[in-house]
Amino acid sequence: MIPQKFEYTAPKTLDEALLLLAAGAKPLAGGMSLIPMMKLRLAAPEHLVDLGKLKDLNYIRETDGTLHIGATTTHAEIESSPILRKKCPLLAETAAAIGDVQVRNMGTIGGSVAHADPAADYPAALQALEAKLALKGAKSDRIVAAADFFVDAFTTALQPNEIIREVIVPVEAAGTGTSYQKMFHPASGFAIVGIAARVRKKAGNIALVRIGVTGLSNRPYRAATAEKALEGKLGSATEIQNAAALVAKGVDANSDLHASAEYRRHLAVVHAARALMTALARTA
Amino acid sequence: MKISGSYTLPLPPERTYQMMQDPEVLARAIPGCEGLEKTGEGEYRMKMQMALASLSGAFEGRVRITDQTPSLSFRLVVEGAGRIGFVKGEGLLKLRAADGGTEVSYEGEAQVGGTIAAVGQRLIDGTAKMMIKKFFEKFAEAAS
Repeated sequence: MIPQKFEYTAPKTLDEALLLLAAGAKPLAGGMSLIPMMKLRLAAPEHLVDLGKLKDLNYIRETDGTLHIGATTTHAEIESSPILRKKCPLLAETAAAIGDVQVRNMGTIGGSVAHADPAADYPAALQALEAKLALKGAKSDRIVAAADFFVDAFTTALQPNEIIREVIVPVEAAGTGTSYQKMFHPASGFAIVGIAARVRKKAGNIALVRIGVTGLSNRPYRAATAEKALEGKLGSATEIQNAAALVAKGVDANSDLHASAEYRRHLAVVHAARALMTALARTA
Repeated sequence: MKISGSYTLPLPPERTYQMMQDPEVLARAIPGCEGLEKTGEGEYRMKMQMALASLSGAFEGRVRITDQTPSLSFRLVVEGAGRIGFVKGEGLLKLRAADGGTEVSYEGEAQVGGTIAAVGQRLIDGTAKMMIKKFFEKFAEAAS
């Protein structure tokens, strides 16, 4: 279908874009969520500001032990970035698991994260990485932890005239293994459930565990009880199963045509075990 | 789709019940509600603007309150339709004193149809949960 009529502006600088957003325009990044909605006429913004063309938001840089990824960096760029594959492989692996090739070539990390679809892939990795998000408005510039950023389905800490400027993730320390495991929705490729695991070993024992969960409920979260159950352990198969079993405990799981709440919970446990097992094997 | 759950409000049951029958309070608590107009005993016409992610649409509908048992329970029937789809639902709300407040438990059934259901099937459950949560949060705010 053809969308409703709208104004389109492609500013050259971020400041220009922020002024337009402050005046009520809607930001467009890769357009992988917004454009289909507009074509179905479920969304009818009057004015779109195309951030996808802003060169100053497309970068992957390393400074002082952290990696900075500009908001308009595409999933394909993240997936194939040599620096991310080496220093933060979880993010590259997660990007590679998003949708299909076309979506990865157009879609951006900033767009996906700001949209906050409850079945999006990045939120699991960002929770596990304890990532930070740099947000910018015409008059504001602030940094929010991923744990505080995701509020509910499609609801984030972003203010109406703010955009994500960059995503900040740590450079993985030696001895850290990571993995992202998901149940793909067969048509859309969205995560029915997705689990990002990060494990660090020190002197044979597990010194750090981070588990990020997406798709299960409205809000992506860190499975803190499961993390605690595994910390200090050796990481035997039984210990991993026991920890994975805690991942969905007490969570208000979503239910739809594709997967009931009970099935989603089961998937979370199975994929948590797989993610932890793979991450652990990668610590060596 | 079945909907059920509970929420605890920091108010005594009598006052919670009273406020839940008050169109002004309801209009403030229902997410996106732009006005509630009384059309009969326990019957209201509602205008609502829904905004979720990039999706937005106006809904017009009716809210009916029946089977009232003051301070204990009532039935809520909601019907709405807009350009992007329609919603029909009804549920029984029960109030119970708990820890100096009121535990409101609800159980009901909702139907969603039209474009929004055809393309947004996987989001309906989550959206319903989020709107119910927002309703109670705003209700508690309106009460304090």
